[in-house]
Amino acid sequence: MIELEHVTKLYGGIPALRDVSLHVPAGQTVGLLGRNGAGKTTALNLMTGYFPPTEGKVRIGGQDMLADPRSCKRMIGYLPERPPLYDEMSVEDYLVFVSELREVVRKANRKHVDEIIELCALKEVRQRVIGHLSKGYRQRVGIAQALCGAPEILILDEPTVGLDPKQTVEMRELIRRLGEDHTVLFSSHILSEVQQLCSRVIILHEGRMIQSIDLAEKDADTVRLKLRAAGPKDALVNALKGLKCVLKAEAEKSPEEGTAAIALTCRTADEQGRATDQIFRLLAAANAPIRELREERDTLEEIFLRETE
Amino acid sequence: MNTIRKRELQGYFYTPSGYVFIGVFLLVSSVLFYMQILRQRSGDLPTFIAEMCYLWMLLSPILTMRLLAEEKQKKTDQLLLTSPVSLPGIVIGKYLAAVTVLLITAGLTLLFALVVALYGRVYPAELAVNYLGFILQGCAFVALDLYLSGCAGTPVTAAVLAFGANFLLWILDLLETVVQAEWLSEILKFLSLYRRNEPFMMGQLSFAGILFDLSFIAVFLVLTVFHLDRKRYGR
Repeated sequence: MIELEHVTKLYGGIPALRDVSLHVPAGQTVGLLGRNGAGKTTALNLMTGYFPPTEGKVRIGGQDMLADPRSCKRMIGYLPERPPLYDEMSVEDYLVFVSELREVVRKANRKHVDEIIELCALKEVRQRVIGHLSKGYRQRVGIAQALCGAPEILILDEPTVGLDPKQTVEMRELIRRLGEDHTVLFSSHILSEVQQLCSRVIILHEGRMIQSIDLAEKDADTVRLKLRAAGPKDALVNALKGLKCVLKAEAEKSPEEGTAAIALTCRTADEQGRATDQIFRLLAAANAPIRELREERDTLEEIFLRETE
Repeated sequence: MNTIRKRELQGYFYTPSGYVFIGVFLLVSSVLFYMQILRQRSGDLPTFIAEMCYLWMLLSPILTMRLLAEEKQKKTDQLLLTSPVSLPGIVIGKYLAAVTVLLITAGLTLLFALVVALYGRVYPAELAVNYLGFILQGCAFVALDLYLSGCAGTPVTAAVLAFGANFLLWILDLLETVVQAEWLSEILKFLSLYRRNEPFMMGQLSFAGILFDLSFIAVFLVLTVFHLDRKRYGR
């Protein structure tokens, strides 16, 4: 749905993005991660046609942004980092204006705006002047304007920044709901938020794309396990090393007397069955009751820090 | 384009700027009217209208300062530039909104003509030509100042730049009498908006004047579009 092809963007000769190629498939919710100055906002501004790339191509729904900006822009609703609100207008007038701008037929406009007001829970402030609204409401009006014109794609630049915890939760819930029938791309600093909402994460660093991770992917080849079992640690480590699926076993400091804590790296499964099943059987035979056995995954935080170091 | 024009026009009257412009224009022109017409017991409308032309120079920055500079400052340009509207559509929409306020103001000043008509003689054809010059000159200033609003980063800078440029055009007129070199004087004469306006104020329908004003407007609108487009490319 959104494609960047070898995109470079220079600001007065200084690169903000360097040879970035990425693809956001239709229907997915994708998170764009990166430190400050990584090029997230630049990437989003390029996708929305706010400015053109210095080199490379931007395609929206298969159409080239430079060749046919109008139909590309019609497909996109954009909430920039600072919502583009006219403080002197009322919420309703503003949304009617944006809908007209997005070429909603005049007859259908009122109904369209009513639906958006309902969806974004703006009913009680619809007649209020935007300049008098709280930060949370302003952000919601920002999302509402992105929905005007019923775009298929929503691009949100740090939508939860500056909101209080309750507003943040509400905003996430709204994004989750919108993700059900839109392609959503949003940038964020908050890793847990991205993990909750996205099926894919793209990491930018110093203007380059360094990772695109499928968070839905569960079938990794190897798995890291944390094991705690009652019994002598050296004997247990040696016994576990005897299993074919175990690649690495190391004893760690155990928090409980008389138990052994062991960190394992295993092949997820081999011809003998799943690694966890084999470990269970081995320890049962050795009469070493398992107190804890859990899978350790790389958290997004770890990946992010490792990749951007 | 029409959507933009409508919003800008609402913007003038949701904020004080539209009222300030019309109010100050009418206040100052009333003072002029009193001094020029009522106190002198004169019916010389053309001279009075020619004096009102100078008010465009002073007040057109109020009308244009927000148009593009504020969009940039408040980042609302992100909404316009990521919507399916073309850059010329945005610029012309904004220009027409400012011109609409200008026309409302010009329309209100017809009351002065009405007062003169009640007690003296007004020649409608002459008045129409006077007003054509009056309005065209206002429209030319608005186009120039709109361009400067696109160049400036904040409305205040836009207003200062616009006022400076308008004033410079006025000085061109004075310079022309001072410079020695004839060729330079000719160029200044050619560029002077005020000089171009003189025939209209004498009741002569000057096609050269109309053409000059329309070209002046077109040049600055095109320059505005080019400037905004160039900025998008980060050059």
